[in-house]
Amino acid sequence: MTIMMKLEEVKNKLAAQFAQNLPTSEQETRICLFLQNIHSANAAILAKIEFQQLAWQPYLYLHEQLYKNAEFITLLGKATKWTMNPLVYMEATQLNLMFWQKARFSQHILGFFQVNQQFYEYLALSHALWSVIRFVPLFPPSLDLHQNPFLSTLNQIEEENGRQIQVQIRLLKDMPVSLSVSQKEELLEKERIVVSEVFYSLLTQVAFS
Amino acid sequence: MQQSFLPRSGLGIKPGVSNPRFCRLLSCPDGTQENLAFYQRGLLLPREFFLIDKEITVPFCKYRSYEINYDIQGNPGTPVIVFINGLTQRIQHWAVYMKYLVPQGYRVLTYDLLGQGKSAKPVLDVNFEENAEVLKTLLDHLSIEKAYITGISFGGVIVLHFGIRYPERVKGLVPMSTFSEMDAQTAQIGCNLYEGMTRVGFEYMVRLLIPLNFSANWIAKNEPQLAAMQRTSAATNDLYAIQNLMESLRNFKGFTAELKKINAPTLILNGEFDAFTPRSCHEILRKNIVHSRLMLMQKVYHAFTLEIPEITARVLLHFVKEVESGQWQGDQTVWIASDDPKSEVVAFPCEGDHTRAIPLIKK
Repeated sequence: MTIMMKLEEVKNKLAAQFAQNLPTSEQETRICLFLQNIHSANAAILAKIEFQQLAWQPYLYLHEQLYKNAEFITLLGKATKWTMNPLVYMEATQLNLMFWQKARFSQHILGFFQVNQQFYEYLALSHALWSVIRFVPLFPPSLDLHQNPFLSTLNQIEEENGRQIQVQIRLLKDMPVSLSVSQKEELLEKERIVVSEVFYSLLTQVAFS
Repeated sequence: MQQSFLPRSGLGIKPGVSNPRFCRLLSCPDGTQENLAFYQRGLLLPREFFLIDKEITVPFCKYRSYEINYDIQGNPGTPVIVFINGLTQRIQHWAVYMKYLVPQGYRVLTYDLLGQGKSAKPVLDVNFEENAEVLKTLLDHLSIEKAYITGISFGGVIVLHFGIRYPERVKGLVPMSTFSEMDAQTAQIGCNLYEGMTRVGFEYMVRLLIPLNFSANWIAKNEPQLAAMQRTSAATNDLYAIQNLMESLRNFKGFTAELKKINAPTLILNGEFDAFTPRSCHEILRKNIVHSRLMLMQKVYHAFTLEIPEITARVLLHFVKEVESGQWQGDQTVWIASDDPKSEVVAFPCEGDHTRAIPLIKK
């Protein structure tokens, strides 16, 4: 069974749970810590954009992403029902450390963004983050998300992701980087698998929380 | 307050044959069985608008390295009718057609386009020209020599492309709410939808589509469920993948001149009030496809396959029966489909000037 199939399976399991009950405080805490970790990592990478030239085309777009990421970290923290169970925090920390290693966030933190393969890899990773990690589809379509602060914030973040990902889409498609189409596709697929694996781990924890 | 979405009845999708995969099946929140009469009168949204958490195996077919999700029902050896999705649709949108056509002795094949539903979603690009090839691969995979090819809107363009490129695989064509060339108005609407999706969001684009797709009457009756419909559409699609489909039309070049290559019986369907792909688009098809007829669907808009499925299915069935029995007359005439699915006549000739909204009488 591929990771995509496993991911689909655990999504079905969670959707069945959320069709019956809203997320518990443990589940909200796990989701929040996971997303805060991603947005923190991305903000840490994007912080270096401040040193780029204003005239560099991606500057303004990525600059906006930096501040949106920072906004989501605090917004989600406010909206979450935090659990009192310390084990949840311990497991979340382990998962987050695993994410840093698997996604190689740290390799993107140093240096400056330039039009090269490393920048392309970062864009592929962030595209995977915003497109693979989606929680809202796990909730029944008839559920009014705005009645619940946590779900409403998740929805707000995912709607914003749809706008933010436009930068990644345009640059991945049009940036003049010396990679063939098949190399690009391979790279994109690699990042999607990494993100799917960690997302699968998170959803498994949430499902059995 | 939350509602339970647990399934109480299946949709009868058969076990996977080539590469079974688990996926979520769509069904109605209250678990009721389909009832065509509800749809016929526009009283209910099709149950496929709603998600439930049922796991079921569905088949996949390989196109290059991509997996194409499809569903086929009906007995082998019976005439095959293929349905091609519109831009944001998925195979479940044709479930009501399966229920109607399969018991009448037809085989129905539906599939998600590359980038839609449960099919693979390439990140970088989707080449529009490949859509016809994907369908050919699927027909080869299922050992289907010839089929009736129907499709709506985006899918309607694929119907026409397929008819031009693979005439030997076609028994008949039914392009619905579609075009062979994009006029400035249609192109502008397309740009607005694209901008709405990328600048505001996927659900906003679906909201923009609703008044183009449905009548005021239908919208009013289904209003309480529209938000859920938008959410379902967003949940089952990926913005970047639908964006790829839309961008695949960025360099769209009209192919009206190639329509002359289509010799297959062709029934062109156009909603009376379709402002997205207006009458002029369908008139071009009628004039350029030799064995065609234009059928006008009364009082409906762009997505009439959803608003009046029973009437549309009846019109399709009548077309297939006429072709199968050798009675089809592709004489480029214009017809109006009866708006009563129980009426004796399926359609009657249009006597007015069908190209005008003002009902002028032809002289």
